[in-house]
Amino acid sequence: MDMHPRAVRESNSERHGPIANESELTAGVLIEPGRSYGFFTDTTLCIGCKACEVACKEWNNLPADHLGLTGNSYDNTGSLSADSWRHVRFIEQAGPKGIRDNAQPSFQSGWLMMSDVCKHCHNAPCLEACPTGALFKTEFDTVVVQQDICNGCGYCVPACPFGVVDISTLDGKAHKCTLCYDRLKGGLEPACAKACPTDSIQFGELGDLQARAEARVHNLHDRGVGNAYLYGAPGTPGATGDLGHLNAFFLLTDRPETYNLPVAPTRPANCVRPSFVSGITTVAALALGALAIFSGRD
Amino acid sequence: MTHTMRGTVTIVQEGRFQLIDDRGVAHLFILGHAAAAEPAQLAPLGRRQARVSVRFTKPPHCIGNVAHSVTLAE
Repeated sequence: MDMHPRAVRESNSERHGPIANESELTAGVLIEPGRSYGFFTDTTLCIGCKACEVACKEWNNLPADHLGLTGNSYDNTGSLSADSWRHVRFIEQAGPKGIRDNAQPSFQSGWLMMSDVCKHCHNAPCLEACPTGALFKTEFDTVVVQQDICNGCGYCVPACPFGVVDISTLDGKAHKCTLCYDRLKGGLEPACAKACPTDSIQFGELGDLQARAEARVHNLHDRGVGNAYLYGAPGTPGATGDLGHLNAFFLLTDRPETYNLPVAPTRPANCVRPSFVSGITTVAALALGALAIFSGRD
Repeated sequence: MTHTMRGTVTIVQEGRFQLIDDRGVAHLFILGHAAAAEPAQLAPLGRRQARVSVRFTKPPHCIGNVAHSVTLAE
């Protein structure tokens, strides 16, 4: 990767203020309101270091929870929650599975690691379910909970097809990844993407990320990883059920359910009309049945 | 059991804030659901680096404290 021309001018380590538009130097993207931004998480590059989890907790001042050992591989975070907005999932596969589609010694396990996060859906079901307007689309096309408006009703929790949103038992409000809304406003890339040492988490403008991801899939196919595919990019698994596309999308090498992702996520709102029609039909059928029974009794 | 701590508000994120106590140790607080303060009131305290007195409890399974009231110390 070539050094950005600005990096030469900004090379002085002694500074007297923040670097303007720092994301241009760290992520190669200028953050401007009115454009769509997101994450491309390439799971083939993830080494499970959990630097993203730590960076997220540090920047967002989130408390450490799930103290103790889960017994599930080396993952002691467990799952995304109100206090864990990034979660590195460890999937241990014995035998010739995963990205190493070849014979392995018996002592070596096939590791799949994935840094999970809020998907910032284009048509976000949590936002549709929110009765107070606490969940909103930002000027960067991301989905954020406004803490001063959230009343903790919890409708967003079952509405999320990915199980991301969670209610905190401490403050009674809904919490999830904000895609570092405050950092974006300050011209900084999100903390997790900046901390990722292998660039498994890439931040950028959505069009650029999608093109980069497609090129990466082709590259992996050429190198013999034929099972690599995108999840959540337009026209791929994950971008189903009227969700549109996911602003945080993934490159996977196994079935979505292996990573605890739904195969075909959908908007709960899609179930409203069929449920309403079936309910009305049932009531009408019962009424007609009762009418037929009672009209025949003389 | 309720405790009280005095210190300076240094970092504020939504309803969470960091307090540096008089020994220079940082503590994380989460504004409780029944707290006598709103998340929007924390940001000015952080900008002013205000000295406050916090009444709090320690929740289980979490490295942090739940703040029940935040008052200006001086």
